Amino acid sequence: MDMALVGIVLVSHSGKLAEGVRDLLRQVATEEVRVEPAGGTASGELGTDAAAIEAAIGRADTGAGVVVLADLGSAVLTTRAVLADLAAGPVLVDAPFVEGAVAAAVLASTGADLATVADAAREARDEPKF
Amino acid sequence: MNPSSEITVVLPAALHARPAGAVVRAAAGFEASVEVRHDGRTASARSALRLMSLGAGAGSTVVVAAAGVDADDAAAAVAAVLREAS
Repeated sequence: MDMALVGIVLVSHSGKLAEGVRDLLRQVATEEVRVEPAGGTASGELGTDAAAIEAAIGRADTGAGVVVLADLGSAVLTTRAVLADLAAGPVLVDAPFVEGAVAAAVLASTGADLATVADAAREARDEPKF
Repeated sequence: MNPSSEITVVLPAALHARPAGAVVRAAAGFEASVEVRHDGRTASARSALRLMSLGAGAGSTVVVAAAGVDADDAAAAVAAVLREAS
């Protein structure tokens, strides 16, 4: 039986940063979890792009909901603007980009629900690295 | 009282990101709560970040401790993942 897993969207100023974290999550959390990067502008510059974020959210949603991680500043602002225009559901989590994404993706890979995955990402704020 | 189970494992490889993720997935299949202990510190097997923060290196010893109705199976499953870490 296929169970829908929570999807992850990575909003970054940099396409390379978002794609690099996506590659990391594939190793840590298996390829079963859908992880969609949304980094950089449409012209490949550093920045954030509302249309790319919206499309990534759509691709990440397989029925169990979507957690969105943002790297800095305008990535948060642009994501909030996108979410304001979408139906309620996708959750933007206040968490460190890499650690939050790892915590969320690992929990998503266990089949955990949206609230649990979002909490895991949020808890990453307070986790010491060593 | 809940049954409990402890298994000691010598890690063939460091408890880094990939094995930490595998431990969380293994433990998630059981009702028992599972912890990994290393060098006086304890990490829940529900948190990949906490498991990584133990800093358990290759060749070091960890204890998998499970408590709950299926503690034996949970500890065995997590220990198996740690023994296969690479």
